[in-house]
Amino acid sequence: MPPNYYHLLGLSYDASADEIRSAYRELARKVHPDANPGDHRAADAFIQLQKAYDVLSDPKARQAFDESLPIAFKTPPANLQVFYSRSSLMAVTDPQLLYALVRIGPSENAVQYNKHPLNVCLAIDCSTSMQGQLLDTVKATSIELVRQMRPEDIFSIVAFSDRAEVVVPAMLSQDRHRVETSIRMLQTSGGTELYQGLDLAYREVQRNRSSKYINHIVLITDGRTYGDEGVSLLLADKAGKEQIGISCLGIGGKWNDSFLDKMASISGGTTMFVNRAKDVQTFLVEKIQHLESNFANMVRLNMHLGEGVELKDAFRLAPDAAPLECQSPILLGPIPKESPLEFIFEFLVSPFSAKNDKICLFKGRLFLEIPGSAEKNSLLLDLERKVHQQTDPLPPPQLIVQAMSTLTLYRIQDRARKAVEEGRITDATRLLQNLATHLFAQGNSEFAATVLREASHLQRTSNFSEVGDKRIKYGTRALLLLPSNMEKNV
Amino acid sequence: MITCPNCRHSELPGALFCSHCGALLEGTTGVATQNMRSTGQLADQVTSSSPPPSLPSAELQSAVSLCVVDSGQIIPLENRDEFTLGRSAEGQPILPDIDLAGFRAYEMGVSRLHASIRMDGKQVFAMDLGSVNGSRLNGQKIPPHKPCALNHGDILTLGKLKLQILLRR
Repeated sequence: MPPNYYHLLGLSYDASADEIRSAYRELARKVHPDANPGDHRAADAFIQLQKAYDVLSDPKARQAFDESLPIAFKTPPANLQVFYSRSSLMAVTDPQLLYALVRIGPSENAVQYNKHPLNVCLAIDCSTSMQGQLLDTVKATSIELVRQMRPEDIFSIVAFSDRAEVVVPAMLSQDRHRVETSIRMLQTSGGTELYQGLDLAYREVQRNRSSKYINHIVLITDGRTYGDEGVSLLLADKAGKEQIGISCLGIGGKWNDSFLDKMASISGGTTMFVNRAKDVQTFLVEKIQHLESNFANMVRLNMHLGEGVELKDAFRLAPDAAPLECQSPILLGPIPKESPLEFIFEFLVSPFSAKNDKICLFKGRLFLEIPGSAEKNSLLLDLERKVHQQTDPLPPPQLIVQAMSTLTLYRIQDRARKAVEEGRITDATRLLQNLATHLFAQGNSEFAATVLREASHLQRTSNFSEVGDKRIKYGTRALLLLPSNMEKNV
Repeated sequence: MITCPNCRHSELPGALFCSHCGALLEGTTGVATQNMRSTGQLADQVTSSSPPPSLPSAELQSAVSLCVVDSGQIIPLENRDEFTLGRSAEGQPILPDIDLAGFRAYEMGVSRLHASIRMDGKQVFAMDLGSVNGSRLNGQKIPPHKPCALNHGDILTLGKLKLQILLRR
């Protein structure tokens, strides 16, 4: 029985020819006899590596070898589906857009996974503005969450304002009585200095971080932090690389949503906006429930774009609608147990030579962090399209039209905000009116009225009202999660 | 480049929706995504021969109704607690809850989304939605975006179109 050549090269079963070649080259450089003179183990490893490459690089030999492998190794860790807006690219002289919607669902054997233990830290903004009902609700919800924690969960709480302190240190089987008392004692003072709280929360989670846990920071804030955005983002990036997600709950109108969105997207978390104290509870309880019932903790995508191809936009449609980074590696967030992870890419394809009959959009690999799974779980994701001389006669799939119809509304909102920032108030008002028109047409008259009110507020004062811009942003985002959309996805 | 049929904005080939106005672009026909709410029911109600109101003792079916002063027709406001008033226009997907296009609204200077009427418990409020020609309550101009309380028999004028407010006691 030969060794598993895929393991030897550190590859998974669906490895592409390119991946096999580059893995081989990289390893060969390391174990080459010239680089390790007199080292017998390296010499043996080099011979093995050579054998592995000979087999896997030859399609026939690879096929024969594949047949000898156990089924379990050959079963992909998740189901992958790709939909394109066009069945082919057009041979035109203009740059063109192409959309690809990717859906990753848990594989059949995923149901046997149990709820994963948590390693969660709540970072609570205790600045003066949180005083009263807000902090009371956050306290009550935190106590409720503590009571829901299972013996295997690790839970911690950090409070921050001008300075940060650990209210409940991260550990197993806490003394609930003492924890609840500590939470009740939380008091407001000072301003919001987010980095301090984030850093302390990160350390609490980091201490027990392991792949068997779901490691996450939930940040609750109602204020804008000044001057420490840069360091916070660096920390979020580091956390993301260490599989610590950061989710943010922004309350009211003062917090900096672009900053918190960015932090969530680079760490693989989510951002939510609430305007009422009672929604805080709903968000927190749901967030924790979702965390423990994920099939995969995090999916990250490493990719190389094809020649002349630009990834213009990446957006996650489900489970939480949010913009994604367009740079490799892209953190796509978790795959829930019951429903798939869905995201859509917008590619800008430059005019290409008429000789091409196929265009590679990108080559990539999805890495799935499945808690409790010893295997390295990954999936190949190569996107390419054929070239046709004529326009594609087929209409795009309904799934993509639907997603883009709502995503377009989100983008109009985005453009309106940009226009306001640049002082183009007339443009911004026009865009908001366009947005309202569509919302009316979709029967969403309440939200449409909100948008119209905001449009006229904008006209009068040249700025958004205090919570207006956030309400519209997260409102349009929530449209993507409406049940009508979900049904079509099943 | 392709041109948005609605606002003439230029979009790249392959785009599905106009990035400016959000309209579905050509070449994606055959997929209906925008559902217009039918106003057929309202039209029926409006055209059905309601007896001319004999104020103030009219027997009204709904808590709030509008009487178009020029024609005497009654529009009941039912099943919701907020209504937008305006006129539909061709090529414009804005549809107010109460479409006054049938009452020469265009000539009367009614905006597409002119005003709203909201019921809040026993109180009823009118609000101008920033219309071009403004709204008046019993001849007094009302400021835009400020709710104004309505009483039975009040005359709400949208542009030049006069509507009388009928409240059931």
